[in-house]
Parts: sequence; structure tokens; C-alpha cells
Amino acid sequence: MSSPRRTLDTLPLHRRAQLEATATVDTQARLARLGIRLGAIIEATQRTPGGGRVVAVGDLRIALDRATARDLLVVELDAAAS
Amino acid sequence: MNPPPPSATQTGAPPSSPRQVPSCHEGGASLAPTGAPVIALAGTPNVGKSTLFNALTGARRTMGNWPGTTVEVGRGAWRPRTGTAYDLVDLPGAYSLDATSPDEELTRDLVVTDEAHRPDVVVLVADSAHLSRSLYLLSELRERAQRVIVALTMTDVASRRGIRVDPDRLAAAVGVPVVALDPRARRGLAALADAIERDLAAPHTAPRQLGPRHDGDPLARADERFAWIDACVDAAVDRQATARRSWSDRVDAVVMHRLAGPLVLMAVMWVVFQITTTVAAPLQDALDRWVSGPLTDGANTLLAGAPTLVHGLIVHGIIAGVGMLLTFVPLMALMFLLLALLEDSGYMARAAVVADRTMRAMGLPGRAFLPLIVGFGCNVPAIAATRVLTGARQRVLTALLVPFTSCSARLTVYVMLATTFFEEWAGTVVFAMYLLSILLIVGVGFALRRTLWRTMGTEPLLLDLPAYQRPTIRVMTSVTWMRLKGFLRTASGIVVATVCVVWLLQAVPVKGSAALGETAIEDSAYAAVAGTLAPAFAPAGFNQWEATGALVTGFVAKEAVISSWAQTYAVSDAEQGADTPLGQNIRRDFEASSGGHPVPAVLAFMAFLLAYTPCVATLAAQRREIGLRWAVFGVGMQLAVAWTLAVVVFQLGKLFW
Repeated sequence: MSSPRRTLDTLPLHRRAQLEATATVDTQARLARLGIRLGAIIEATQRTPGGGRVVAVGDLRIALDRATARDLLVVELDAAAS
Repeated sequence: MNPPPPSATQTGAPPSSPRQVPSCHEGGASLAPTGAPVIALAGTPNVGKSTLFNALTGARRTMGNWPGTTVEVGRGAWRPRTGTAYDLVDLPGAYSLDATSPDEELTRDLVVTDEAHRPDVVVLVADSAHLSRSLYLLSELRERAQRVIVALTMTDVASRRGIRVDPDRLAAAVGVPVVALDPRARRGLAALADAIERDLAAPHTAPRQLGPRHDGDPLARADERFAWIDACVDAAVDRQATARRSWSDRVDAVVMHRLAGPLVLMAVMWVVFQITTTVAAPLQDALDRWVSGPLTDGANTLLAGAPTLVHGLIVHGIIAGVGMLLTFVPLMALMFLLLALLEDSGYMARAAVVADRTMRAMGLPGRAFLPLIVGFGCNVPAIAATRVLTGARQRVLTALLVPFTSCSARLTVYVMLATTFFEEWAGTVVFAMYLLSILLIVGVGFALRRTLWRTMGTEPLLLDLPAYQRPTIRVMTSVTWMRLKGFLRTASGIVVATVCVVWLLQAVPVKGSAALGETAIEDSAYAAVAGTLAPAFAPAGFNQWEATGALVTGFVAKEAVISSWAQTYAVSDAEQGADTPLGQNIRRDFEASSGGHPVPAVLAFMAFLLAYTPCVATLAAQRREIGLRWAVFGVGMQLAVAWTLAVVVFQLGKLFW
């Protein structure tokens, strides 16, 4: 079984994950401004042109580019449960 | 020279206090009496602050379903039925008082820095559908001795998502009054007025005390605030189980799909392009016919006995200038309406995501795609469309690139010259001009990005996608009217003045014995000025005054280039083609001026026409959007690029033709 810890850009779509860390404090601060904290449950809902992701965090929908998605370390919850 | 930080006119630089905030909104809201309580609207971007401001003051203010729409400080009088007049201030969107952008700095300065002039009450506008995010700013405000009232908006969107926020429970949790309202439908405004009146009459609410955990550590302090927010949300929000995929997600699956998304964006841009060109054209023609027909005829009749100078200035200067301005009104109105529709519906944020990668190559965000595409129809609304960009430096850069997009007015000149000189290759030559236009945008964008804009960082895309919503006619029309009025107010002077100057040059004789206004064009000051400019174009192969004169007229409007030639060569019919009298005259002059290389000379002329200042209306729009200094810089840059390009084309071309 692959490790449930991965960067967001490699998280399969529609799998829930917990945001564990960000590569930079700046990214963490930007997420916090949108109301997303470390520990938040997120789900990538679709890929975007250019390789980015749209993530659902509760009712929020946030678009990220590929580089930012690579900056987010998540723990896949569904994989951990299975 | 580096691009300046956002100027006061662009983002509303912080004045010393809210009571001295300049009235820079464009809707002409009246000001409250001196000493009226100051009520500041604050909140995260895109929660409806500007819509609420308009609903309360009756003013017209920038608003739309787009993060960061409010980039200036609006101020106006709010006179609720309770009788008290309030001085209402609409602050830029801010997520936090820990400012990271000029907008947030402004909000922080206005709300907390100058304690002697703080607003009497801050109305924290909160999005019910995304309550947690809206409450961070409240958590910071609650730690200060500041009267705050929460205005809950977007309750309809929240309700569709199965979210219900109980205002009473929320008020008990956050410790300040909470009012649910809908500024789009103007519901709940009286309740807000009552809450403010009651709050002003009551003692100050004690500031919320932070727990012992933070000890000055900003991350711990932020964490404590988030914990408080979570507790407030848990206390006040009821959630029903909703389908995992909302209809908004289903629409997003298509409009932001890796393959379908760009196609949808192209289709939307095509529709915008079509409407701003083909749909507006009959309206423009009708206005043009009315101005040049009945209005001019009427003026001619009224001014029959007037001196030539007065008659000419009124008919050929003022009326022609106003007429030109009027023809832009349908075009601009349609453009602004479409912009409002795209913003208010929520699609604009998706378009920014789809185009992000392409525009990033030039250091611009995805949303810069819109003005650049619109520019191929007309540069004037395209310059106005740069306001979809939230960063002032990005806005300046994009507005400087827009004139390199080849507008439809330039197409008429390309077609005329291409059919005259290239016959069966005319289509290919015209296509090449569009290709050159794209190369110029990319090339100049690249060059500026690595020189004057080299310090502008590439911002990662981390964009909140607002919920789709049905655009409201009231919001769209008020936005359109406010923007149209602003355009007319700024552009009218410069357009009319330039048309008058060109007419005056054509009317003043410098040779011969003809009277003022009756001179042949070759004896006029216009020909003299064009003749003075002509030697500068010798290296480009078109140093005859007839060509440079057309370029001078083309500065007023590119549509006027062909009619200027027709007037210069005294040809009654400006029909296009190599064998027409106009075509023969133009061929003869290009042959003479280029030393027997008319083909590279005319290609050089077309390249110059593509790259130099599109028209005086574009210049006026630039002045409005990015300021006079950058508009003048743009003119200089375009002339330098155009001249260099024309010389290179001629000198290289003459090796082959």
C-alpha cells in the first residue's frame, strides 16, 4: 500500500485528506487568510488546465496552480482507513 | 524607472482618517453633515460591501462577484428612516488587520491606526455561506475597543447549500449585534439602521480577552482566534446534509475542465468579441449618421452667417468630436455590461483559472486574458477591462500592452492597402498583421517584464472561487452606468480637443492666398506639420507628407486614415483596390518615397500603423485607468516600437523586393 502522506498534486481526485504541512510559511499564511488551517480536511475535486487543482474545504472551493499544489503535504484519510 | 506602487487614485492611499477620506467613488453620493457618526463597512473581498454601500447611500459604486473589486475608498451619506444621517465609508476588502496588501493596509490604517479618528461603528459584512473566513477580521476587531455590528449577507447562497446561520445565536457567541440582510434585494437595511442606533446609544462592549496561550507568538494568537471562530460557528450554524457535488461543482467540472475549459473560455471571449464589434456596429453607425447628418445639417443652418473659424470649430471640431465620442457609447456600454455579467455571475474567477498558465508566461495573471482579447475588437473598452485585475502594477502592464492588439479600425486600413499592393495575397498579408500583433504583445510584454517590471513577483494562484449566482439587473446596470459615466467624463475633453486641433491644422493656410477654412489641404498647416514629420520616416520608406498626414489623422481615429487619404488626394470615392484612383495615387507616392521599393515601404507603413498609438480615445481610456504619466509613457514606447519595427521591415524588405 502506498504511503498516505503525499503532496496535494498527487492526491487522487475525490479522496479526502488532511492538510498536514506546507512547504513555506507564506503558503500557510495565504491559506489561513482564506480560512484554511493546518489540519483542515480537503478534497481535490478537479484538475485545472495547467495541472492545478480545485480543492473543496467545507463549502469553500479554492483553485491552486500546480506549484502551490506541490507545496501542500496531505495525509490521505480514505487510504489510511482502508 | 520602476512602476510605482499603487497610487492614491488607483487604490485609495490612506488618508489620515476616515473623516478625511476623499470621496473617490464615482456615483456622486452626497456627503453627510459634518460631525455625523462615521460608519465603516469592512469585510473580506466579495462579501457584498459595495453592494450594501450602494443600497444604503443610493450611490453607484464598483461592485461585482469578484474578489478585490473594491480597491478605492467610497464615502457617502446614509440617511435611514430613523432620521440620523451617517457618514458611510466603504473600505477595501481585507481578510485580516495583519496587512499583506495595499488594500489591507488601507483598511487597517482607517480602522485601527489613527485612534483619534476611528469610525464610530464598523459594520463587519460577513458571508453566511463562508462564515469562518469572514470572522477572522471580526476576531481581531473584537480584541479592540471598537463598536462592531455584523451584517450577514449571502443567506440565500448559504440556504441553497443547506447552511442556516442563526443571527441571535451568532450575536450571543461573538458578543456584538448581528443583522441578516440582503443588499441586492435591499432587505434588512432598516434593521441594520436600528441596530446601529441602539449600539451608539449603549456603552462600549468590552474587548474580547485573549487567553494566556499566545504570549506574543503570532501563530499561537492566530490559532486561538481560529479556535474562537470555530466555537462561534458551531454555536450559530445549522447544516443539513447536502449532496456532495453541488450544481456549482458540476458547472465547474465543465468550465474548468483541462480540455473543455479553454474551449468554453474561447467561446465566451468570442461572444464578448462579437457583441463588442458586430452588435455595437449598427448602433455606432446610426449615431454616426445622426451626428454627421441631421445634427451637422442643423448646425450648418444655424451657423450660416457665422465667421468661418467659429463655424468650423463648432461643426468640424466640437460636433465631430462629440459625435466620435458618442459612437463609442454603445460599444462601451455593451462592454461594461458584459464585464458586469461575467463578474457578477462568478464566471470571471473561473476564466482566470483557465487562462492562468498562458498569461503566467508573460508574468500576468489569467484574468489579463480578457482585456487582451477584447482589444482585438476595440482598444478603448479593453483598456477599461483591465480593471478586472486587482494588482495595480499588473493593471498598468496590461494597459500598456493592449494598444498592440490590432483593433478592427486598423483592419480597414490593412485591407485597403493589402488589396492595393498585394492583390491575391491580400488575405495573407492581413493575417500576417494579426500574427505580428500577437508577437508584439508577447515580445513587449516579455521585455517590460524583464526591465521595468522585473521586481514584480509571480504570484502563485490561490483563488477563492465564489459561488455562481444569478446576475441581477440592478447590479449590472448600475455598474455599467457608473463605468460609462466615468469614461465619458474622462475621455470627452481629450477627444473633442484633439479633433478640434486636427481640424484647425487643416483649416489654417500656410501657403497660397486662400482664407481660413477654405485652403487646399496641401497648403494647410496640417500638410506643413506632416511634411515636418516626414523626414523621420525616410529610413522606413514612407517620407511623403501624405502618408505621415494620414498617421497624424490616425492618431485621432484609425477609421479616419482612409478618408484622410481620400481628402488629401481629392478623391471623392474612397473605394479600395489597386486600380481605383485612390489606390493609384497611394502606389505612386509609396514608389517615389521608397526609391522604387513600394512593397517593403507599405509593409513598413502597416507595421507602424499597427504599433503606434491606436487613437485618442484609447489614450483617454489609458489616462483614466493608469494615470497620465503611464499613458504618456505608453505613447512614447509605442512610437519607439513602431518606428523601429517600420525601419527594420523596410530595410530588410528592400533586400528582397
